[in-house]
Amino acid sequence: MPDPDWDEVAELALKRVTASGAEYGDIRILRSTSQTIDGEDRRIAVVRETEDVGFGVRVLYRGAWGFAASSVLSLEEAPRVADLAVDIAKGSASLASDRVRLAGEPVHRDRVVTACRVDPFAVPIEQKTTLLLETMERLHSRAGIVRSHAGLWSRRDRKLFVSTEGTHLDFDLLAGEGEYSATAVADGRFGTRSFHTPPLRQGYELIADADFLSEALRVAEQAVEKVCAPAVDPGRYDLVLDPEHLSLTMHESCGHPSELDRALGYEANYAGTSFLTPEKQGSFRYGSPHVSLVADNTEADTLAATGYDDDGVACQRWDIVRDGLFVGYCTNREVAPKIGEARSRGSNRADGWGSIPIVRIANIGLEPGMATLDQLIGDVERGIYIEGHGSYSIDQRRYNFQFGGDAFWLIEHGRRTHMLRDVIYHGITPEFWGRCDGVADRAHRRRYGFITCGKGQPGQSGWMTHAASPARFRQIDVIRGQSPG
Amino acid sequence: MTTLNSWPKLTGREEFRFLSELVFTRSAGDHTVVSLRDQHGGTTRFANNQVVQNVDSRCGTLTVTVSFGCKHGTASTTDFTAGSVQETLVRAERLARLSPEDPEYLPPPDPQQHLTLPTVREESRAAGPARRLEYAGEAIGQCRVENLSAAGIVGSSVGAIGVAASTGLFAHEERTEARFSVTVQDGEATGWASATHRSIDHLKVQERTLAAIAKAKRGEEIRDLPPGMYPVILEPAAAAGLWTWMLWSLDAKAYDKGTSPFSGRLGQRIVDARLSLDNVSAHEDLLGVGFTPDGLATGPSRWIDRGVLQQLSYDRYTANAHRIRSLPTLDAPCVSAEGAAAQSVPELIKNTKRALLITNFWYIRPVNAFDLTLTGMTRDGTFLVEEGQIVSAVKNLRFHESPLRAFNQVEACTRPLEAVTSETGKMLVPAMVLNAFHFSSATRF
Repeated sequence: MPDPDWDEVAELALKRVTASGAEYGDIRILRSTSQTIDGEDRRIAVVRETEDVGFGVRVLYRGAWGFAASSVLSLEEAPRVADLAVDIAKGSASLASDRVRLAGEPVHRDRVVTACRVDPFAVPIEQKTTLLLETMERLHSRAGIVRSHAGLWSRRDRKLFVSTEGTHLDFDLLAGEGEYSATAVADGRFGTRSFHTPPLRQGYELIADADFLSEALRVAEQAVEKVCAPAVDPGRYDLVLDPEHLSLTMHESCGHPSELDRALGYEANYAGTSFLTPEKQGSFRYGSPHVSLVADNTEADTLAATGYDDDGVACQRWDIVRDGLFVGYCTNREVAPKIGEARSRGSNRADGWGSIPIVRIANIGLEPGMATLDQLIGDVERGIYIEGHGSYSIDQRRYNFQFGGDAFWLIEHGRRTHMLRDVIYHGITPEFWGRCDGVADRAHRRRYGFITCGKGQPGQSGWMTHAASPARFRQIDVIRGQSPG
Repeated sequence: MTTLNSWPKLTGREEFRFLSELVFTRSAGDHTVVSLRDQHGGTTRFANNQVVQNVDSRCGTLTVTVSFGCKHGTASTTDFTAGSVQETLVRAERLARLSPEDPEYLPPPDPQQHLTLPTVREESRAAGPARRLEYAGEAIGQCRVENLSAAGIVGSSVGAIGVAASTGLFAHEERTEARFSVTVQDGEATGWASATHRSIDHLKVQERTLAAIAKAKRGEEIRDLPPGMYPVILEPAAAAGLWTWMLWSLDAKAYDKGTSPFSGRLGQRIVDARLSLDNVSAHEDLLGVGFTPDGLATGPSRWIDRGVLQQLSYDRYTANAHRIRSLPTLDAPCVSAEGAAAQSVPELIKNTKRALLITNFWYIRPVNAFDLTLTGMTRDGTFLVEEGQIVSAVKNLRFHESPLRAFNQVEACTRPLEAVTSETGKMLVPAMVLNAFHFSSATRF
């Protein structure tokens, strides 16, 4: 059904906010259209489209927040929701001691549209289901494969952000991804190998350009090889990590600790705090001089490059770690002033109209170095090359982590030899990054990312891209991923 | 403050019946299913002894699945107007026509006899921002008095859930839920407590905040212990973290394909012979529901009987292949221990010579799906117990262990106690003393 005029809804809501005496208010109206096609074991199990429409009003009253949201998008509902948000903010103010003061931001009036060559919603469903079925057939063509999964996902967000400061932002954003996996059984064990396109803000060209189908046989063969491979001998190894694998390592051990709200205690009850406390900014050695981690929310196609965040702050590029030194945080308009910064970094995002925006990890990537991948591997006597994502876990201050991977190869005397299984490595974040002694050059740079980053209460899913070239880490503790005894 | 009554009311039973009939009347499909999820709730979140988030949200979603033979498609909307519902049906029909045949498709279930459970508590339905703020203020106030810092949430919600199918299946249920969680910080030390219940009156905010305060205060003196094998006392939340991954791994299709840690072990002992796992949908301290998302009836069932695996979690297709007519559900899990002598965690501590007391685990993830090896960190209260007393706090440790091994090391248990964490659903589970539990590394706090 046709929505009411969004500008009229916004005007009605924000008039109520302004009349209440609140110092700030904004409204986000959002229509999200998603398409999910999932297959398993040579069949299409899910073909689903969702339309999710609603709006949320955020109010800052005497330095305290209130937020109310509704899926009933109407001219009658807008003032009611706005009034509720004001009431809730007044309640919050009754318990406020350190009142919120927003960092300044110029007023923006803009429209942001994802550039796309092929509209994913215009691609025939049959074309997508055929691709997934052919992919699964190809996976199962390899003896030993007993299970498969393949999926495609697309989303379009039409969003309006309007604030009482006069900012008016209109968005038409796309995102998509594709993935599949094969599970092999051999020798009484089982194991899975996966393929992922990165989730990116692109059209269906993301899938078309990804060699989606042609990679399937390799994935199936490596699933069988992996499950038959010898288990790793625990010990210290040099690790060479591929960009997809590094995306998770960076996300967990650099991305989350660089969220300033965590460092200030906002997430103490759930996602946790951060060892990167504010007094360390500018002086703490996070890694070796080879390690420069840059937040870039301006790079085209990446998930956090939305032009503006949900504070209405323009996307930016800045350093998190420069030459091994911790220098910057991901911030929003609320927390930036608490460390004396005049402007937010524009990292405040909500996962839908019904969620209040919170600080999220930016598109944090590892800056390329000078080496080639062959040079990184060639200088390893005894090591392991790791691709993709596997097991992952990290403590609530982001010191102690443990990672697996999707595929592992033993490196001996400068050469990648055979696959291994059950490889798990663990470490302490600054010690681990301190052991980085080489990063491959820009020609090896690849982008991966996440649309399922959990944070906040109620829980929200954050979206961000992490780019890297392969990197080498010396003498890392490796254990076997099996139960003791 | 504005009350809930000023909001559009949730979709009632007759309203849902009307909406679903509207869809069935107009559907061209061989079968049609309409699902409802209409939720209104809010969360007051606090940190550093003040409110940092205070939200209230209403969201209704109607989902339509249409099938033509074995081809099916699904569409959903948040707009409940007749025109939008019609448009959603048309989208579902279009997707179904364009989909390939699904060899595992089954028509929706026939009408079912659903249990009528006490899923709604009026005090939770009536609770709004003011009540949530009052509880948050109570937790903050207790911590301020002790010069400690509180972070946490108070949440409450009411939802209308429904499933209807052109076969005549119809189910509608209202469900309330209230949540409280608090982390108390005393310098570097933290203590934590959490509760979820159908009734907001059962959150016991004061009692749980005091428990978290006591844990934080005990953490002032902290000891480094090397990783290795230790006896442990798992508080209910910590035990629930391990049990949850066992529950999630009971999928029957994976079992059949040989990709389950339980493959070939149905009818065999998998945990200590004193332990049993039941589903108790009607238990008033659990969050049991009357029906599954498919509209199937829930009910009591036994999954592990004195250590022996008795039951798997079936999708309808796999159940049909096994000629299983009544699918067991795990909406309200309860682990019990035969002959459990202790009533409480303090009693377990009192009878323990030496062990690590674990309040909770965090970021539990699978390491190896084959033997169900898991990893995770201890969090918000890890202590050394010697000669029946807590003697010091211990820096957090990372475990690397399979519950299938650990739950065969049971020394002692309490009766089933309430447990819920940020990573697990609500369950009843005993606190447990395990003789040997493996920690693979340590962290710095």
